[in-house]
Amino acid sequence: MPEILVQYQAEIWTAIIETFVMVGVSIVAAVLIGLPVGTLLFLCRKGKILENPFVFSVLNLLVNTIRSFPFLLLVVFLIPFTRLIIGTAIGTAVATVPLSIIAIAHYSRLVEQSLLDVPKGVMEAAISMGASVKDIIFKFLFVEARSGLVLGLTTSIISFISYSTIMGVVGGGGIGDFAIRYGYQQFKTDLMIYMIVIMVILVQLIQFTGTTVSRIIDKR
Amino acid sequence: MIHLHKVSKSFSHFQVIKSASLTIDKGEIYGIIGASGAGKSTLLRLMNLLETPDEGQVEVNGQDLTKLNSKKLRQARQSIGMIFQHFNLVANKTVYDNVAIPLELAKVPRQERRNRVVECLQFVGLESLLDKFPAELSGGQKQRVAIARALANHPQVLLCDEPTSSLDPNTTAEILGVLENVNKSLGVTIVIVSHEMEVIKSICNRVTVMANGEIYDTVSIEPEGIKQLSKRPNWFIEQLIKDGEKSHA
Repeated sequence: MPEILVQYQAEIWTAIIETFVMVGVSIVAAVLIGLPVGTLLFLCRKGKILENPFVFSVLNLLVNTIRSFPFLLLVVFLIPFTRLIIGTAIGTAVATVPLSIIAIAHYSRLVEQSLLDVPKGVMEAAISMGASVKDIIFKFLFVEARSGLVLGLTTSIISFISYSTIMGVVGGGGIGDFAIRYGYQQFKTDLMIYMIVIMVILVQLIQFTGTTVSRIIDKR
Repeated sequence: MIHLHKVSKSFSHFQVIKSASLTIDKGEIYGIIGASGAGKSTLLRLMNLLETPDEGQVEVNGQDLTKLNSKKLRQARQSIGMIFQHFNLVANKTVYDNVAIPLELAKVPRQERRNRVVECLQFVGLESLLDKFPAELSGGQKQRVAIARALANHPQVLLCDEPTSSLDPNTTAEILGVLENVNKSLGVTIVIVSHEMEVIKSICNRVTVMANGEIYDTVSIEPEGIKQLSKRPNWFIEQLIKDGEKSHA
């Protein structure tokens, strides 16, 4: 192993763990909140089973607004809110708040898009069978859209990794922050390149896994 | 069995159904035919409230569907089967799981479910394909699965929206045979919407002709029986030259 990596081994491991924590929390937020929000966005659209222009417009506006923030500004803008729920404005835990918010907005949009690909006829068949809203969601929509939902989550996770790299501004740490502080600011270009290589490998692995899983579960 | 009383339906200011009334008796195979845009599909979709009428009553199995709350309506729909032109199977579920859906919705215990699914698939002659996914089936097989799925909950009525319109003539005959069997051996009332005269004439005993959203007329007919087509290449030649001179190109 290159000497410089051995020298910074401990810091690098810490950075990797910080990235995993930040991205991990984002994924949990995306699935637990983004998936329901995206589903609601879809169901409240015109002509869908829970058609509701008010709920749709509010959610739509909210998702658009969050996604239109340059992410760095969103982080700064959210500091007071973050301080309110975490109790401090510095650290990895603090970084997970803006990351989770962007994660929810990001994934909910992709969920809505995947659900729009479910053939209208399948929804009609579900209604004609007497399925309830819950049955329609779990026995029809999510089943038909599952490969799209997995691909969407894959795309989202890769974005979360990218977003996590700027969390140095609130002391969130992570691989990106490490690369900037040691690689860039201390002129250790080789260290920076090693960090980029780690990120590239990580993204490749995630994309490969996501693509493979979505292909296996797609029987259409 | 089914009684529509002065139902009307508009889509964005265009009146698709204009105060239509009709009665379908138990055990009938009832046809609805008409030109494109005459409103025949909409009329059928009113029978399970897939479209809610702007006015009028829809009575099925002695219940006025328009007066039911959403839970009661869902229960009522479980005994009204429906099949579609494009089958509308869940592509990510196997044949078995597709047929099992209505039973899950009706909260039938798992053990009974299995027997019923197999029974329904046997009825349509597909019990050997229960592990396949819809993408692995032919059009005719998909429609058979859809019929099995529609029959799972022992419906009183089977609504068929252009059931053979995306199938070739041989497969059409096959599906019509299954539908006839559903009617004869299970006593299920069948309503078929089709633009194909042959289909309507072959198995229906009463037919409503629709035009411009209105019921133009209803006639009783003697079903002609399903025409068996041959797969022999020579049969096609015979059909082609039946009325003319044989002249090979």
